Amino acid sequence: MAVTAGPAERAAEAPPKTRPPGSRRKPLRHRLRRDWPLVVLTVPAMVQLAVFFYTPSAYSVIAFMDYSPYRPLWENPIIGFTHFQILFEDPYFVDALFNTLQFAFAQLIFVFPISIGLALLMQSIVSTKLRSVFQSIVYLPYFFSWVLVVTVFNQVLGQDGLFSRWLLGMGGERLDIMRDPDTFMFLAWMQWTWKDAGWGMIIFLAALASINPALYEAAAVDGANRWRRLWHITLPGIRPVIVLLLILQLGGILSVGFEQYQLQREMVGWGTSEVLDTFVYYRTILASNGESLGTAAGLFKGIIGLLLILAANHIAHRFGEQGIYQKS
Amino acid sequence: MSATIAERTPARRRRRSNRPVWDEEPSSVGKAAKGLFLLLYAAAILIPLWAVLATSVATEEALLEGGGDMVFLPTEVSFQAYREILSGGAVTRSLLFSLLLTAVGTAISLALTVGAAYGLSRPGSVWHRKFLTLILITMLFAPGMYPAYLVVQDLGLLNEMWALILPVCFSAWNLIVLRTFFMTAIPGELIDAARIDGAGEFRTMFKVVLPMSKAILAVIGLFYAVGYWNTYFLAVLYTPGLETKPIQVLIQQWLLTSGGGPTGQDAAAAAAIASGMENAPAASLKMAAVVCTIIPIVIMYPFIQKHFTKAVITGAVKG
Repeated sequence: MAVTAGPAERAAEAPPKTRPPGSRRKPLRHRLRRDWPLVVLTVPAMVQLAVFFYTPSAYSVIAFMDYSPYRPLWENPIIGFTHFQILFEDPYFVDALFNTLQFAFAQLIFVFPISIGLALLMQSIVSTKLRSVFQSIVYLPYFFSWVLVVTVFNQVLGQDGLFSRWLLGMGGERLDIMRDPDTFMFLAWMQWTWKDAGWGMIIFLAALASINPALYEAAAVDGANRWRRLWHITLPGIRPVIVLLLILQLGGILSVGFEQYQLQREMVGWGTSEVLDTFVYYRTILASNGESLGTAAGLFKGIIGLLLILAANHIAHRFGEQGIYQKS
Repeated sequence: MSATIAERTPARRRRRSNRPVWDEEPSSVGKAAKGLFLLLYAAAILIPLWAVLATSVATEEALLEGGGDMVFLPTEVSFQAYREILSGGAVTRSLLFSLLLTAVGTAISLALTVGAAYGLSRPGSVWHRKFLTLILITMLFAPGMYPAYLVVQDLGLLNEMWALILPVCFSAWNLIVLRTFFMTAIPGELIDAARIDGAGEFRTMFKVVLPMSKAILAVIGLFYAVGYWNTYFLAVLYTPGLETKPIQVLIQQWLLTSGGGPTGQDAAAAAAIASGMENAPAASLKMAAVVCTIIPIVIMYPFIQKHFTKAVITGAVKG
């Protein structure tokens, strides 16, 4: 804030039309004297963001440098987009990108509807006691770490797991789903559903609860059956939430997560489970000389995510939905 | 579906359930299909967890009888595996480390989030919009892994517990949820009244606003706590050299690499964890460690459940 004129003069000269009605803007000094406790309370969080969000964001210039960790940052020569070029000629990167998109879309298409379906089923259970029991069970694995989820899956579906044992007992052969690259997509889908479908369900249940029940009653009185009520009341009622979640998922489409894939890398082979995050980790943190390349991959991911989320939000506004932020 | 409303007039129906009168009774086939699906879904979640629990209390004989790795119905219950892993070895140290990490991390996270949420809950206060914009940007973009690593390295935090806390201690989502709560659920008259009575901002916050926000603070604190307890990625990234590892890393090294990892060091790490625990079967020991990792989540779970819908609604729906 560049304050050149004295605060008192500024306040006198300030055209009132730019101020929100009713709150005449006082000079900065007065407002600071009034609000300093609020600023003091906010500053620690801002410092955290400055250090752990804005500094690394600025460090992303490494992607455009011929970077070496052994000299100060500003002494590294800037070489432009070379690393991005190398990246897109690298078959490993292209594979990782392709895998990431594949996993992200599978999540979008095959897990999202399960959450909605579960929420609708759950809502149609009339007994509140039964409902809360089911809800608690389905929601629980959301709080488990990926380490636990993969471990539990390994115990059930792995080589010596319950399922294999059961097959042996039935006179069949062992089946090791955990180590089969061909079925990894199916395995990943089971894991997503097991872990996260309950979370989506809770959000949709909250959205369903906010629909005015009188609408259902009026529709039923008018002769709308169960399916018509679902189509004309329930789905429009939860549409804002569906759109919101879709936008968020789209924004995160290139960050499908690190842990699930890193944990199973050894079991299914790294080619199958390589996603952008694991690519960056194994290419930069564990390999030498990959700093610029990894940063370029990370920056690519961040910028695509940003563009996608802005675009999705824009489209949502176009269709009259709220999106994640309002136009101001 | 075939049942029409005319067949079951509300007057004839005995109202045993709290199904609204205008809602037609679903067909019995539909009901059965629905019940079966939900039952199977719940079973798919509970059966694996049950098997883990059953194996953790199984004896050597029961395991041999069952064929080696997992049992479903233990014939005999023994808590020897728990005694072994909780008697001061690597697992105990990791559990304690994770508890410490969770406690310290949650305290720091709550302090930052509460401060910022209260500080930004007064529209029109100085720099209010600027701060909010800076926070909203963090929800749209994510800096890369290596630049973040570089910052942690520059600060000298590599292989320190702080590397698992400071980079993630503040979440914009939780801030928005809490700020929305402060702005909508706390009546402005109360804050005005406190000010007229001569209370400063800090006093208003601690004596008026926070006591009215206990439930939502509990939920946000628990969400942070679950995050710290589940720390794995950050530990792999920032603290690979830590002698006492967070429990999730220990579980990974012990249970997910021992099946013949490509490098000898994985097997060595797994062997080091298990050393000194010979009085219980290996499978039971491992499953007991898994149960100990689940227990804190299960303890926190009812508290989250109690208030989560409210938090989700303010966070996700009202945004």
